[in-house]
Amino acid sequence: MEQIQLRVVFGTYHISAVDEPALDCGNMNQAIAECQKILRKKPNHLSAQALMSFAMARAGRIDEAERISRSVLNTAGSLKSPYVVEGLSLAFRTLGLLDEEIAVYTGALEFQPNDIKLNTKLFMVASRNSMYKEQHQAAVGLSKITKQDKHMWWVIASLMLQAKYSKLDPASQRLQMTLAERMSEKALVDGKLKTVEELRIYLDVLEMQDKHSAMADVLFTDGALSEKITNDPDLVTQRIGLLVKSHEYDKAIEAAIGTLDVRENWLGYKHYIAATVAKLGLAIKDLNAKPDSSELVPEALPIVEVTCATLNRWAQIRGRARGAKLALVELAAALGAAGHSDIARMTLSGLGDQIWEYVDQFQAKAICYKDIMPYFVVAIVEPASKRINQEVLDFHRNQLDRRIDIACESAAQSEDLAQSWVNLEKIRYLLQALSDDVNPESWVLGVDRLLQYGLDSSQAQMKQASCSDIVLIAGQRLIQASFIGFSETSQHPQLHAGLFSALCVLEAGIKQNDGSFLLKLYAIRIYLFLSCYERARAIYDSLNIKNIQFDTLGFLINGHGTSLGCYVQDLELCYEGVGFYDSSGGRISRGLESSYNNETYSNITDFIEFRDNLKNSLQRKCTHRCALRGEAFEPGSQAEIVAKWVEANADAIGHTDEAQEEALHDNRDVNVMSLLTPVDMPKWNLEILTRPAPLPGTAWIAVYSIIPQIMHHIATANVEDVEALSKKLLIVAEDAGDSLSRQDHLLVRGVRQVAALYARAVDGSQSFDEQLSDLVGTVTEALTAETPDADSPETLSEMASTTIRNATVATEIYIYACSVRYILNKQKSPSTKAVTLAISQLRKSSLAKISALRSLMNNHMRASIDKNWVTSTAMFAVPAKFMQNKRRAIVDSVAKSCFSGWSRSVKNLVQLWEQWS
Amino acid sequence: MSTIRRFRAMDMFNFNNVNLDLFTETYDISFYLSYLAQWPDLFTIAESADGSSMGYMMGKVEGRGKDWHGHVTALTVAPECRRLGLGRGLMDSLEEASEKTYDCYFVDLFVRPSNKVAIAMYENFGYVLYREVLEYYMTDGVMPTENAHDMRKALARDVDKKSLVTNRRIVTPAETHF
Repeated sequence: MEQIQLRVVFGTYHISAVDEPALDCGNMNQAIAECQKILRKKPNHLSAQALMSFAMARAGRIDEAERISRSVLNTAGSLKSPYVVEGLSLAFRTLGLLDEEIAVYTGALEFQPNDIKLNTKLFMVASRNSMYKEQHQAAVGLSKITKQDKHMWWVIASLMLQAKYSKLDPASQRLQMTLAERMSEKALVDGKLKTVEELRIYLDVLEMQDKHSAMADVLFTDGALSEKITNDPDLVTQRIGLLVKSHEYDKAIEAAIGTLDVRENWLGYKHYIAATVAKLGLAIKDLNAKPDSSELVPEALPIVEVTCATLNRWAQIRGRARGAKLALVELAAALGAAGHSDIARMTLSGLGDQIWEYVDQFQAKAICYKDIMPYFVVAIVEPASKRINQEVLDFHRNQLDRRIDIACESAAQSEDLAQSWVNLEKIRYLLQALSDDVNPESWVLGVDRLLQYGLDSSQAQMKQASCSDIVLIAGQRLIQASFIGFSETSQHPQLHAGLFSALCVLEAGIKQNDGSFLLKLYAIRIYLFLSCYERARAIYDSLNIKNIQFDTLGFLINGHGTSLGCYVQDLELCYEGVGFYDSSGGRISRGLESSYNNETYSNITDFIEFRDNLKNSLQRKCTHRCALRGEAFEPGSQAEIVAKWVEANADAIGHTDEAQEEALHDNRDVNVMSLLTPVDMPKWNLEILTRPAPLPGTAWIAVYSIIPQIMHHIATANVEDVEALSKKLLIVAEDAGDSLSRQDHLLVRGVRQVAALYARAVDGSQSFDEQLSDLVGTVTEALTAETPDADSPETLSEMASTTIRNATVATEIYIYACSVRYILNKQKSPSTKAVTLAISQLRKSSLAKISALRSLMNNHMRASIDKNWVTSTAMFAVPAKFMQNKRRAIVDSVAKSCFSGWSRSVKNLVQLWEQWS
Repeated sequence: MSTIRRFRAMDMFNFNNVNLDLFTETYDISFYLSYLAQWPDLFTIAESADGSSMGYMMGKVEGRGKDWHGHVTALTVAPECRRLGLGRGLMDSLEEASEKTYDCYFVDLFVRPSNKVAIAMYENFGYVLYREVLEYYMTDGVMPTENAHDMRKALARDVDKKSLVTNRRIVTPAETHF
């Protein structure tokens, strides 16, 4: 923990290639002592020096390690020794000094130019660090020395990567690709292309040049490779896709039928349908050219009819009906998209009928909705205008109405029938969203019967899966109704009451089925929305979160604690995230090395892309900035905190420039968080609806990159940079607009005032009364001005949305101000006394306000929740009554969770104000 | 409807609906990457029509001589995607690669005796109980919680199905290393 923190503070966190397991084991201090013992006897022992520099680098003695390792590197002849090479390369790698690491290998190669191990290491260090030109040179060297096919493929892979990722001019890129293609082609002719992995590299080379026809030729090659291709389902499918791309529709259809006869595969179906529709298009084009085209459609029909017959034949095979039937829906949709709706109607009776035929047949499967949902969208939303086709929408509504009540009544009979109802309820939700239904009451309609079944039926007692789904839908409807009905600021008391109702439903669902991660995800979002961090974190901890899921969920929690006054506990989670991102680069690089060694070339570009997405992700940046932010509030003396600001590497925490910002990846798996509507309908998406604060994005990252830099420059008395960065902060915040939360804007204002105060006060000759007054005013304003009416729903709503968040920002600004006061004192500024006095008074008045808030919280808030949320508004009366009658304990527990979450936050804030004096 | 294809590292950004299920083990990134780097054709994913993950299977090949075999390291299917035959599809892909690409004698897997549903499924796929592995499953890698059933299915190369015959019905985890 401490090491990681230091790495962050000192800006050396980018050393991602460090071998994490070796960091944890091994006693570096002992290693250093052993080396020193040797060096006392033999001061010029270069291997010991190299090893010691490595151990020092691992032990965090960066400066000494760098000095010693450079000295060894510059010693003539030192690189003759393999031990020196080993130790130095590790030291430079640990220190993140890439050029020096490469210099070790290139220097060593001067003594042993044909050393395979050294050349391989040079190749790997280049590959780990995306130095494709150097990687290529090393591969060529190896290939010349060993004459092995393996190293020839390393050359080809390097050429491809160089063309793909290096910033080469187009002519050079083409040259690299041509060379790679020729080498691969020659390998094929010479029988040196033996494995599927080598073939995949060749295919990648061709694909990068859009040579689809050539790719298809390679995949239809005869000989030993042919059998390997046939045994690889991915290549077989790719082969069909290439035929489609090469306009070889008959061949594609033949190949698809042959493949699908043996084993079904959705991509295979897609290729088959694409080829059919394209062939139809060609046929119609030919017919149009004829003088009499009156027989146009009938002549073209057989093309589609044959496909329909084939699909229907497959649909009769046991276990294959679902795929083949969905393919018929896909065919109808594809025909419509290509402008052949009339043919779709003649051959398939239209998309609408196909959709409902599919629903009727497979609604007992949980996957049915996921399968069919995109086709509802395709059918109802006109592709060009994005407008709703009301006639089609009404058709589907009618179809649904005919089925849904019967399904509801039958649900109790069996789990399959219950699942049918679940799917129809999901379709009801989708159609409602597609129709842009903004009447909140219609969203709540039917929630009572959902709750009855989901929580209070005999099926619920048996914990059947359908019950969790039904509870989830009920929760979603309540969330949707809340946001639709009460999105105006003045209506927030009702919004929060509605969300409380939804939360009670979700918690009841969780209680019934603790394994439902969807219920938990939704509950986390709402708790965070209502500023209740503790329960959100507890649910998060109960999820199976590890590794990559930080990207989706970890960052949701990371930072919210900081925003809600829970600095320390949240910081731990942030550092878990920071550690994950730091270590990932090295792990993926090892995977990359392993791919070369195992000759599994198909993964190389995938690994590079994966590493790039993690390294340059919004989530990584946000997690890191959250950690930096929280670190300023860690318990410790002011001297320690200010020392951190002094030592912080301003370059490392520098704001990402705009071009890089745009390239940042958003790695969230939004599918797992979406509502029942597709992700291209953000208005109806739970991820958007229940986002507790604006999504930490590039503006957010910029703000939280500039603030620590300002503090660094204050601590190092660099007034010019403080002022420049303060201006930059203002510009970023103004440009960001609503993409930053109100609290973010408040913080920006406070930090700029802190910066202005310092810039004026440090001078000593200028008045800083105005700056001091502004700063005090901002902190005072952020804390509740007067004791509000404790029982009012507005106060309760303010508590959920604003009060704690504002108080947290006030605390943060105050702590920065304290640091400035300390720094002024250390810099012996004559202004110190006045600033100290003002801050002392600010602390006194603010503590009184926060204590009053705490008192308000402890005396009234729990009762206010009972009064204003539990009984709820008229719109949520039915679900609220149900929950009151059937799940009173859950309602109490949710109310308690909200209260205790706020209480804990306020308590933390009081402690911070008391601590920072 | 699904496509079974090779797993890619980038799929790890998109498999929460599978891995957040309580019964699915989430491993360290290195673990997934090591499988991808060594046996890319034995790590497969079932992808739905809309491109989301439905389930995946990690496998490997190991052993010497007559013990040369395919091994199922992990097989998991998202809750909403069960009862669709995906488990069979994923197992088929491993068995086929083990047989046709790697020329193995058999495929084996370990399963908790308490996981009756999974055992029934594997039996349905043709797997038989080969032996019991003592205290194989552990909590946090320390406390033994449960034995494992080592189940096997002979492939075409093992004509006489000798790989299914053993003299020792109970072994320790160390004895299962190839």
